[in-house]
Amino acid sequence: MKRRTWLLAGAGAAGALIVGWGLLPPRSRLGQAGTLPVVAGEVGLNGWIKIAADGQVVLAMNRSEMGQGVHTGLAQLVAEELDVPLRTVRLTAAGHDSLYGNVAAMLGNMPFGPRDEGRLPERIAHWATVRVARELGINLTGGSSSMADAWEPLRLAAATARAQLLGAMALKHKLPLAELSVKDGIVHHASGALGHYGEVAAQAALTPPGEVTLKPAAQWRQIGQALPRIDLAGKVDGRARFGLDVREPGQLFAAVRHCPMLGGGLGPVRNLAQVMAMPGVLRLVTLGAMAGSTPAYAVVARTTWHAQQAARALEVDWQPPPKGRVDSAAVERQLASTAQAAHRAGEGFAFRSEGDVVVGLKGAARQLTAVYSAPYLAHVTMEPMNCTVQLGDGAATVWAPTQVPGAAREAAARVLGLPEAAVTVHVTYLGGGFGRRLEVDFIAQAARVALECGGAPVQLVWSREEDMTHDFYRPAGAAVLQAGLDAAGKPVALSITNAGDALVPRWLARIVPKVSGLIEVLTRNGYPDSRAPAALTAAGDAPDKTAAEGLFDLPYAVPALRVAHVATHSGIPVGSWRAVGHSHHAFFIESFIDELAHAAGADPVAYRLALLDGLPRHAAVLKRAAEAAGWAQPLPAGVARGVALHESFGSIVAQVVEVTKLGGQPRVRRVVCALDCGTVVNPGVVARQMESGIVFGLSAALHGRIDVVGSEVQQKNFPDQPLLTLAQCPAIETYFVPSDGPPTGVGEPGTPPLAPALANAWFALTGERRRRLPLLG
Amino acid sequence: MDLKVNGQVVALPEIASDPAMPLLWALRDGLNLTGTKFGCGVAACGACTVHLDGQPARACVTPLGACAGKAVTTIEGLAAPGAPHALQLAWLAEQVPQCGYCQSGMLMAAAALLAKNRQPTDADIDAAMSNLCRCGTYPRVRAAIKLAAKGIKA
Repeated sequence: MKRRTWLLAGAGAAGALIVGWGLLPPRSRLGQAGTLPVVAGEVGLNGWIKIAADGQVVLAMNRSEMGQGVHTGLAQLVAEELDVPLRTVRLTAAGHDSLYGNVAAMLGNMPFGPRDEGRLPERIAHWATVRVARELGINLTGGSSSMADAWEPLRLAAATARAQLLGAMALKHKLPLAELSVKDGIVHHASGALGHYGEVAAQAALTPPGEVTLKPAAQWRQIGQALPRIDLAGKVDGRARFGLDVREPGQLFAAVRHCPMLGGGLGPVRNLAQVMAMPGVLRLVTLGAMAGSTPAYAVVARTTWHAQQAARALEVDWQPPPKGRVDSAAVERQLASTAQAAHRAGEGFAFRSEGDVVVGLKGAARQLTAVYSAPYLAHVTMEPMNCTVQLGDGAATVWAPTQVPGAAREAAARVLGLPEAAVTVHVTYLGGGFGRRLEVDFIAQAARVALECGGAPVQLVWSREEDMTHDFYRPAGAAVLQAGLDAAGKPVALSITNAGDALVPRWLARIVPKVSGLIEVLTRNGYPDSRAPAALTAAGDAPDKTAAEGLFDLPYAVPALRVAHVATHSGIPVGSWRAVGHSHHAFFIESFIDELAHAAGADPVAYRLALLDGLPRHAAVLKRAAEAAGWAQPLPAGVARGVALHESFGSIVAQVVEVTKLGGQPRVRRVVCALDCGTVVNPGVVARQMESGIVFGLSAALHGRIDVVGSEVQQKNFPDQPLLTLAQCPAIETYFVPSDGPPTGVGEPGTPPLAPALANAWFALTGERRRRLPLLG
Repeated sequence: MDLKVNGQVVALPEIASDPAMPLLWALRDGLNLTGTKFGCGVAACGACTVHLDGQPARACVTPLGACAGKAVTTIEGLAAPGAPHALQLAWLAEQVPQCGYCQSGMLMAAAALLAKNRQPTDADIDAAMSNLCRCGTYPRVRAAIKLAAKGIKA
């Protein structure tokens, strides 16, 4: 089955499942004023904007702030269209209406290639996806999608509110609308200041907006400016409240101790009486497998320390996983052999197939084949997993650092036996997310513990050890890359077969059980392919995009191209991770392209540029990075450069890494980054996201690995899983390639190019080609 | 047990008075001073960095018993209200924090460094700032420390 056929079958099935196509009402994303609750003195103008009595603009914030600056960026859009200073925009938590769902994230999960736009099948699937996403209304912060998702709706909501407010002001003062202007939230006329928005908000709610137009770029005063983030004051004086900082009267604390074997089970506690007699200990709660978690015990105590001491002291006859123990080393070997076998047989789900690679390879002047691999990785957010729950009379309150507030509410409600509407979720600041907080295991656990706490608020806290050893890991992966070059060294055929776990179907089943039926349909309907390998059909997984992203959508022009994926099921829990599929696939493809360049005796930048046929944005980004890095300039002895170019989440990023050798190991001293992320809403925030992604990518490239032995994760705390330190951090420079397109992702795209740029620099320095991550250890 | 925190002697609740209890939990769970963060519990990440008589200390492995008679300073007491520390101003000027979780510890480590070394070199900063940050704020942390050092000099 071709990817496009599968796309259409899937989208059609999804649509039919949810509601009949013809019955879908047109759902704008402006929303109704009633969607947004108001307190006395406030007036709601639509689902996003309300106006306080003093004229302050209040924005319904539907995205989680985890460091990426999203609260600032989204408020900046609204401040721009309403002509108010950014710092005066107040945020209020958006509720659970499907209005606040994330359409862009769902689109991002569909296997559209970045250059598929305009082709009819993709357009139909795109349209169907948008409608399905709008109906499902899944609210998530992830997939580098927040700005792309908000770009049109939030500006439209603000511009519509402004039109109503100005209309009301014109009526009130009997002045022509065209003669009014707004500066810093005050409406002006040639005759003088007329007042602030609060003075006409009630009338504005009854005033039709007329024809609403968005400000043209030439009139932007805030979009494009590096305005200070609105959340930082409390992040330098200790006031910012993260999940772990929730403190309610009478609060209890619970520490979790999972079965150390992933997917294992609980046995009896041998020293129960002894543990229960420890100071401060109140009770022991048994936690089954919840939303993908491994079963655990939770000890409730009067402080976190007492709970942690007791949880550590538990002596338990842990039960091995029913399907047997798993070793990551064996899984990784299996992935490589699966990819190789499928490659030889021409199997796997072809996400992209153009021309005939078999013929192309045969006719090539020479061939290159390489096998690349990458390990499992943990998220290691600085704030360990936690959630606070208080059960009231037929209602509950949840405080959670979560990327999925709706799914968190649903999970808590399910465990507590309450209707969803009876559960209030407060999203705190997130001490890092990176995809880990797209899961709701720790929320379900906290709800379960709260059931035993008699109405007292209880904060469930994972230790660092539990956090590192019971993650949903970035999947390990392996790929065979085979190229045929012509006499001039240009690729005429490229065939890639990779193997790895498909994570999105299982993740969706964990966090949105209501769509698990849909996943079944997609899985079965999407897979009638009789050529699907046994490993794939046994797993029964749909070939989700993350399993092939960064490979099938490669930018280089090759006449014969096949990119296929074999979905495996390793038994080790996997989930999203910063740039997840791209994070290792960029290492595979951009290292291999470098191999081809060297085989052709070509300069790696020039070689890539020659293959970027008809992609001027990619070429501009690559040139910008090379120029800023002084690619053509010689380096001192003992220093070498490497380059990589990678597109992800709609953004194109090139990085040049300068590496030296220190004690026989790579030491990165400088990273130059260029990107095209469409319209840059806040260049300060974007530059920091590039730095963030680069440091994250460098930590992973040098040290990142999770080893599972007998189903037990071996890396338990920072000494076992080092992170890059300040002393090891290279100088980082970021350059923007101007673009007037809509904004695209920035939270993740900085990560993927780092590993291949580093490995390519290492090759340039030492002649040693590293095809496996991490580079150290 | 009494504890001198941010210039005031406070009585710890009985449940948070065990001399073996790490200072971190006495602050967070006993006194609701949640600015000091829990990151690893093994003194590896520095999110819990406070000052003990002006010296940086990792509160997650500092037993309460070792704090008797000493002055504890946390992020909440780094500066008087309305009079931010030069580092806090520099942190805002450089827009250092991302998620912000490690930043209390970063600031406390940096403040201890500047208190004894008003003009730290890059090597001094490297040596003093062993705190871990998962968001990659390191380049901005370095820049902000240098900016604050300039301010102190002036």
